Amino acid sequence: MAALILPAGLLVVLLMVAPMLLLARISLNQFSPTEMMVEAMSPENYIRAVQDPYYRSVLLTTMVVALGCTLLCLALGFPTAYWLARMQSRWKSIATILILFPLLVGNVVRSAGWIALLGNEGAINAALRGLHLIEAPLPLLYNAFAVVVGIVAVVLPYMILTLSAVIEGIPRQTEEAAANLGARPLTAFRRVVLPLAIPGVAAGSVLVFILCMNAYATPVLLGGPQFKMMAPAVYDQFVRGNNWPFGAALAFILLFATMVLTLVGSALIGRRYRR
Amino acid sequence: MGDLVLEALTKRYGGTVAVEDVDLEVRQGEMVALLGPSGCGKTTTLRMVAGFITPSAGHVRIAGQDVTRRPPYARDTGMVFQSYALFPHMSVAQNVAFGLEMRRVGRTERETRVMEALRLVRLDHLADRLPGQLSGGQQQRVALARALVVNPAVFLLDEPLSNLDAKLRGEVRMEIRSLQQRLGLTTLIVTHDQEEALTMADRLVVMERGRVRQVGTAEELYESPRDPFVAGFVGRCNLIEGQPEGTAGFRARGGALLPCTTAAAPVGTGGVLALRPERIALAAAAPGEGAARLEAVTYLGAQTEYVVDYAGTSLVVIRATPPEGDPLRRLAPGDAVALTWDPAAARLLPAQ
Repeated sequence: MAALILPAGLLVVLLMVAPMLLLARISLNQFSPTEMMVEAMSPENYIRAVQDPYYRSVLLTTMVVALGCTLLCLALGFPTAYWLARMQSRWKSIATILILFPLLVGNVVRSAGWIALLGNEGAINAALRGLHLIEAPLPLLYNAFAVVVGIVAVVLPYMILTLSAVIEGIPRQTEEAAANLGARPLTAFRRVVLPLAIPGVAAGSVLVFILCMNAYATPVLLGGPQFKMMAPAVYDQFVRGNNWPFGAALAFILLFATMVLTLVGSALIGRRYRR
Repeated sequence: MGDLVLEALTKRYGGTVAVEDVDLEVRQGEMVALLGPSGCGKTTTLRMVAGFITPSAGHVRIAGQDVTRRPPYARDTGMVFQSYALFPHMSVAQNVAFGLEMRRVGRTERETRVMEALRLVRLDHLADRLPGQLSGGQQQRVALARALVVNPAVFLLDEPLSNLDAKLRGEVRMEIRSLQQRLGLTTLIVTHDQEEALTMADRLVVMERGRVRQVGTAEELYESPRDPFVAGFVGRCNLIEGQPEGTAGFRARGGALLPCTTAAAPVGTGGVLALRPERIALAAAAPGEGAARLEAVTYLGAQTEYVVDYAGTSLVVIRATPPEGDPLRRLAPGDAVALTWDPAAARLLPAQ
């Protein structure tokens, strides 16, 4: 058995752990405009990133957007997931494919679609102006709103499918029993369905939150130059600034923030619904 | 508590009829069993009473009130599901308390009533366990307590014993019945197991393809079935197609003339003769004598089952296993036998 796991294990070490270690090492180096990188063992990149108000605000924006998107996905995804899970007919597989459909289109292409829809000359503003409902175009693009809309559209299927798998495991009779005992639909949902769906809520939220924290193409294309999230900031340091040590430090700060928030969130959800 | 009345209750799905024109009255404190093969509409009927299925036509009245259009949570029914449907994330006590919470019963009274209900099903020592930590029989009793604690007007049981093993089934059956009688619960139980229905219910409703075939006590259904389906479904029965020949008896399609009292039936109309296997007496006959030949003998312990070819008609005979040394004990397939029965025991039923 061990012999069978070994090759795959080595591959994982090689492809995942090694680059991470390398990146960790780079993050402790010093940046030099002439030589790019000077060997060092100093936390100065981390200190700079944490002290710089710009990167603090980028990190905060990233966390707020990721959290907002996750909550939005939960709110939008739960009813859909419930509906999908309780679907009996042969339409179920068709509905599943439809929900997966957005994932067939790449991030960049999809963002182009959002630009065409949300831009000042886009479909929505054109329609509203055509109807004389507004004078000046609504600022729908190149702001947080556009980024949230764009990200949610990408990650929602993950949330729906994760939740629906868990909801399918909750027997219909359990809900009927609640109704039979006098629980109105909302009460039955709150007392029976939601607590039993918590593993799905936790798994879906973690998955979606991680995807949101690391979103790259959508914030770049729909956020515009003023709106910065962490993944594009890391990229800027590596490619535009050639500052690998600082980029690596930012990457680890993003990783750390994602991990901490994920663990805290899971713990909170777990404690709330332990019983 | 109250009575339950179904009036012309009907459920159609598109073109197919699941339940048609079911009329039934379950009196206060009475236990009535809906009995029938799978797909006969018994579960659909029960679910219409609980409110999970909206009838296409007809009415459901509980304690005099028309509840046909009321949602499940506004009907005063207590249901025990086939799968028990306990809330897996709540303790036994929380499960039982749920219905009381929904009825806004105060905490002190709630706790008293929960413990009372758990004592009733002898589970008060397991109040803090989760359902997953209980055996099937214990889960079943939690489900009973959860439904009973709210004092529902109507108690509904959906195949409550089908997930239990045979030994436990007998015990739980007696337990449900004694609870039901002690508390005077108006009860509707669905089952496909005739033994269950015969032993538990005051009256039985035999259903087939969405329709009620016959309503009556176990004895009425067994002794005077109205049609061949009921005769064959409640207990075992020889059902022989043919036609009555006045006082001579009943002429089976296979040619045999079977003694029976069919005075009321006009000669020439087709019918089915119903003859219970245990009403036929069997005796050994000398070779060549007697019109019947033994085809198969199955030893079942207390009883022995014989399949006999009676002049071209196959009849099943069930007798108490004869004692050791009795010549009947040595009967083997191929032997000649003589069959006799009281002509009054053979009932003429209309053809299906």
